[in-house]
Amino acid sequence: MSRATASALLPEPVSPAERPSRPSRRLSPVTAPARNRRPKLAYALIALGGAALIGTAQIGLSLMITHDSFVLSGLNSQQRELDLQTSAIEEELAGISSPQLLAVKASELGMVVAGSASYLRLSDSAILGTNAGASGESTIDPTGKGTVHNALLNAKAQSAAENERSADDTSKSVDPDLPPPITEGLPSPTTR
Amino acid sequence: MTTRATRATRGPRRRTVVALAVILAVLCAFVVRLIDIQVVSASEHVKDSLQVGQLGSTHALTGNRGSIVDANGTVLASSMTVYDAQLSPNLIMLLENDKDGPPETPWDEAADKIAAITGQDADELRAGVAANLKDNPDSKYYQLKNGLSTDKYLELRDLGLVYLSMKPRETRVYPNGAVAGNIVGYLDSEREAQAGIEQMQESCLAPTDGERTYLRGKGGEIIPGSERVVDALDGGSVQLTINSDLNWYMQQMLAEQAQKQGARAATAVVVEVKTGKIRAAAEWPSMDPNDLNASNPDDWGTRVFGLSYEPGSTFKAITAAAVLDTGAVNMNTTVSAAGHEKFPNGAVINDAFVHGAYNYTLAGALIDSSNVAVSKFGTMIDSQTRYEYLQRFGVGEKTIDFPREANGVLHPAEGWDSQSLYTTTFGQHFTVTAPQIAGAYQAIANGGEKIDLSLVESCTLDDGTVVKPEAPEHKQIISESTADQVSRILENVAVQGGLADQVSIPGYRVAIKTGTAQKPKDDGSGYKAGKYYTSMVGFAPAEDPEYVVIVTLDEPTRIASSTATAPAFQQAMTQVLKTYRVPPSTAPMDELLPKFN
Repeated sequence: MSRATASALLPEPVSPAERPSRPSRRLSPVTAPARNRRPKLAYALIALGGAALIGTAQIGLSLMITHDSFVLSGLNSQQRELDLQTSAIEEELAGISSPQLLAVKASELGMVVAGSASYLRLSDSAILGTNAGASGESTIDPTGKGTVHNALLNAKAQSAAENERSADDTSKSVDPDLPPPITEGLPSPTTR
Repeated sequence: MTTRATRATRGPRRRTVVALAVILAVLCAFVVRLIDIQVVSASEHVKDSLQVGQLGSTHALTGNRGSIVDANGTVLASSMTVYDAQLSPNLIMLLENDKDGPPETPWDEAADKIAAITGQDADELRAGVAANLKDNPDSKYYQLKNGLSTDKYLELRDLGLVYLSMKPRETRVYPNGAVAGNIVGYLDSEREAQAGIEQMQESCLAPTDGERTYLRGKGGEIIPGSERVVDALDGGSVQLTINSDLNWYMQQMLAEQAQKQGARAATAVVVEVKTGKIRAAAEWPSMDPNDLNASNPDDWGTRVFGLSYEPGSTFKAITAAAVLDTGAVNMNTTVSAAGHEKFPNGAVINDAFVHGAYNYTLAGALIDSSNVAVSKFGTMIDSQTRYEYLQRFGVGEKTIDFPREANGVLHPAEGWDSQSLYTTTFGQHFTVTAPQIAGAYQAIANGGEKIDLSLVESCTLDDGTVVKPEAPEHKQIISESTADQVSRILENVAVQGGLADQVSIPGYRVAIKTGTAQKPKDDGSGYKAGKYYTSMVGFAPAEDPEYVVIVTLDEPTRIASSTATAPAFQQAMTQVLKTYRVPPSTAPMDELLPKFN
């Protein structure tokens, strides 16, 4: 193409004076690097603070969890201790509630196992049964030949005897200021 | 216009792709390996860690064996922990000879303290440890004392000695000693139940083990949060129908009476009529499970349930019930019986006392306990019917399936020969145990309704649930009127019989039957001479029976007949009526039945 044609095709150059005023553009080519602005302190603090908070919270929670296990083990050992003391006391009592010991103690007090009982019927004050008092004789003798065996009582008797032997060493002096002990019951008048 | 990627731009892009591909490949490798470890072979690795790495640890937690209590909750058997103490002589010497840090308590002083607590001799202890060290200078074990109570364990522990270690061990303690000892049974040294309720109720009493698993750190500390515990379950608690105070009285009374009568052994069983529950099962000599060696091994079992014998005259009441129930005989029927008779089939039957021919009624036959008269009454029904009645009354059948309980022997009716045709009417040629007799009389006392005997009330499991055994069977084996008639006859035996004074209980109407059974010779050729197994069974109050009591004596020598058991029976029945506050009889006895007609 000829230069003339080409130039004819080109748009007509507009003189700067004729050019209508264009609106000022915001965009402009970058000529120099942008100035470094300081980042906002608050944002940084919040971010770091949040991270630190999360970390602390996690550490705190795990401390609390493990702390409980120490408390738990402390209570467990307390309970074990108390259980041991309970067992020790129960073992001391073993055998004491047995009928053999009860009967022996009762017979030492002079009680007897008597015969048939009498009953008082309250509705008409009738006495059912023999209407006889208990005789002094016991139908059984808990301290005699027929004693029902209890190894626990024998063990206790043994240890009691041992303790007695060791306690016998202490002097048994009677305080002279005390009145003499009563052996035959308080004196009382006989009434008719 | 197209933009072509020039070589300059293609280069960096390909490098990026290649780099990313390499990274992806490495990542894939990691992911595959991760899946392999965490998912595919996870269980193997966990197992490895537990075994080889000893990361995890598992302990079995043992539960306690259940306890046995009586009808009122009194504990008859329970588990107790004792401690076995041992010393480590090696450690003692190490500490003694440590010049930098001598022990707080030197060994001599410590030995004194230890010996004071355990009740040993301090010098012997020191000598024993020294001898142990001489044998083996590295000895780490010296047995101090086994079976220490918790009390002593706490005292020894408070000494704070490093070389003293105490291992807990579970044992069984029986707080009431020999009371119901033969019923409760015992455990052997392996803690296996060998007899009695311990064996019979093993499934209820046995504990269930638990487990405790945890992960351990390097130093052995438990990693918190990794502990898993499956609690051990203690064994259940068995409640018996036995009244332990009544049982104690029976044992005490039997011991005194048997020794007074010069007997080898004695038993007593108390059964509640309306429920069939065994309220007392006593025997002498008895066994204290706390101390087996204090008694003869023959006494470790159960004479009450395990010994079966020919009952003798006590079964005349069952024959009477049988003949009355079938209607073959009524209260006015009489037979003529002399003290010694030979029957048509060749059998010879004797009475216990010599007499001429009397016209006995059924009541008279029982009051005088005439073998001849009862033979004649009994054979008015055929033997098969009598056999069936014996079966109905429980002969030949176990009562509660107690360990080592005897069935008793009952031969079939076809096998009864000419002599046993008659002797089976008065309690020979078959054997029963004392509870079986009590059960038979319970039927008579309960208006003809037999209730199976029971010994176990319930089993209370660890979590509180109460498991009751199957309800006992109730069966009407004879009609109510038959039972009433037989009861009346038995009351007449008590009042008109020779032992009336000895068995009477003031205020109560009692019904009894005595039995003097011959004991067969060991070789089976006839009976022992002069040696009897005497028994007395009865129930009271006769108008509305509440309790059946049977007392037996094995070979009483002072009086060799059932008279020997009379005082024991009277005391036993009195105590039973007192224990259960049974109101005295208010209705007077019906008129006396005629013995002869």
